[in-house]
Amino acid sequence: MMSAVAATVSIGGRPSWSTRVARTSLVFAALMVLVWLLVLPLIAIFAEAFRQGAAFFWAAIRQPDSIAAVRLTLTVAAIAVPLNLVFGLAAAWVMTHFAFRGKALLGALIDLPFSVSPVVAGMMLILVYGKYGWLGAWLEAHGMQVIFALPGLVLATVFVTLPFVARELIPLMQSQGSEQEEAALTLGAGGWQIFFRVTLPRVRWALLYGVLLCNARAMGEFGAVYVVSGHLRGLTNTLPLQVDQLYDENFSAAFAVASLLALLTVLTLGIKRLLEWRHGGELRRQY
Amino acid sequence: MGIEISRLRRQFGQFAALDDVSLSIADGEFVAVLGPSGSGKTSLLRILAGLDQPDAGSVHRDGEDLLTLDARRRGVGLVFQHYALFPHMTVAQNVAFGLQVRPWRLRPRASAIKASVDELLRRVELESFAARYPAQLSGGQRQRVALARALAIQPRLLLLDEPFGALDAQVRVNLRRWLREFHRSLGITTLFVTHDQDEALEMADRVVVMNRGRIEQIGTPEQIYRHPATPFASRFIARGQPLPGNVEGATLRVLGQVWRLDGFAMDNVHAVAVHVRPEDIVPALRQGEGLCARLLSLRHVAGSVRAGLQVDGVEEPLEAEWSERDWGRHGAAVGDSIDIHFQALTIFGTDREGRVHARSECHPPHAASPVAVGPWRRLSAE
Repeated sequence: MMSAVAATVSIGGRPSWSTRVARTSLVFAALMVLVWLLVLPLIAIFAEAFRQGAAFFWAAIRQPDSIAAVRLTLTVAAIAVPLNLVFGLAAAWVMTHFAFRGKALLGALIDLPFSVSPVVAGMMLILVYGKYGWLGAWLEAHGMQVIFALPGLVLATVFVTLPFVARELIPLMQSQGSEQEEAALTLGAGGWQIFFRVTLPRVRWALLYGVLLCNARAMGEFGAVYVVSGHLRGLTNTLPLQVDQLYDENFSAAFAVASLLALLTVLTLGIKRLLEWRHGGELRRQY
Repeated sequence: MGIEISRLRRQFGQFAALDDVSLSIADGEFVAVLGPSGSGKTSLLRILAGLDQPDAGSVHRDGEDLLTLDARRRGVGLVFQHYALFPHMTVAQNVAFGLQVRPWRLRPRASAIKASVDELLRRVELESFAARYPAQLSGGQRQRVALARALAIQPRLLLLDEPFGALDAQVRVNLRRWLREFHRSLGITTLFVTHDQDEALEMADRVVVMNRGRIEQIGTPEQIYRHPATPFASRFIARGQPLPGNVEGATLRVLGQVWRLDGFAMDNVHAVAVHVRPEDIVPALRQGEGLCARLLSLRHVAGSVRAGLQVDGVEEPLEAEWSERDWGRHGAAVGDSIDIHFQALTIFGTDREGRVHARSECHPPHAASPVAVGPWRRLSAE
């Protein structure tokens, strides 16, 4: 432990032998944790998926139910992520530009989905929108089904991924203050002009980051969606639910679909890296 | 006509940021609002810019009520202390912003916008920096971009909030002169806010001294420096230092010294404060006469010597300022005792009709002649 402290202290000068050892072993330890917890499991998923050959893999993911699950997952994400983008922007704006009664409460509410178990979140939705829930009778009378249907899946996903965009934006907006918006106002800009020309460009990287995290979580969400889905194969099964069901029936097919889900997430991170690499210079210029 | 500010009041909870502030600014005038932080000067600026609303009072420009106009339609250019440039836009884009956000019917053609941006950048001597981003500029250059951006909308009133606050001392002095010249060539009505006395006195046509939300004094730099009207203005602008003293009849008593007042035309004046300036504390010509002071510290600043003096009967050490040459003649060391003499004192008093102030030249004690009190001036703001 002492040598670890020494390693951080002697950054400026020429490191001694013991600091070099400490540094190397720390880096090695961090790498080992990553390899055992992330890299190996990820490889294992793809290895298991292709164990019975590429033909089997293709057949597994080209099943109508799997394709329906992919489509449903993308649909849910395509609705939930924009909703949270708008909500996150609005919430972050309100939290950083105004002083009002209940501001602390709003901050706590934004964080609520982080602390509430997703299963509980799903249960709450059933209690409100379910057949015997508070709004159940009214919804049924008007021919609307929320639980065990797309709206329920979207609601559950929106709830779980609510904090990502707002939490990414709030610290940044706080540090930036509102002087530039005021400058734009005195120069004659209207509300939307200020938003699109001044506010949005300044937070776009944090926003993108929040949206990507939100998207990754939206596609991977299991607990809350599990409760409200009803598991109707080909109808209300998202990818994670499909993986769960296949796991009990067809081990290799489950891994084939799971690898698809992993691929979507890796793709999301890949897009983020690509954008950072392409626009890295702009990023440095701004901050 | 210009700007007519009348009885402005702005309250934040218990704290009055502006307390009954009235001020008129002539067309083309360059006015400095000078005060310590928390004196209300920034509140005044924000209300004029339309970023804040007063609780009471009015602002008129050429007879038009400014307060009913939205900030974006006021035609007021505001330059922020920290520039508030848009970091994701180039210098040229920053300057063009105010023209580009106009409704399309009022928006100049792209070529016209480019022409006026080029012209403005030429005027602020930044034409070769058009394609740079703010982060690639120095503080002084950013300040000039902010100025060009504010001027692009052809404002009828220009507001500058601590325009040199975030700059190096050397850059600040150069930019001050440049801005003064720039204002002369533009002739646009300008109000700038600062806590720096030198800046206000050097640049402005008129200076407004503010303290705790109230205007203490309005006048030309010379008037304000020579005749600060209140103890606050004296302390803040002329570095006046309070001395225990009073006026009885036609006699001024300060620290055991007594002067007979000449030209004391007013009855019943009660002195509320007697101030002495650093440059008016001089070493006595003859030893053993004047006040005995102990030299606490000596600092050499740009051709002058600043001495800290402990005088019996005065709580805070007095600061005296001498030229290096004068100092060379006496040459005492820290810890020595020297005799000092006050060349001039400022007396603040009240009479039946209100507050008055006067500056009196004090002859050395051995001269025994009466002290000449300058004409009493009445605090007109009251």
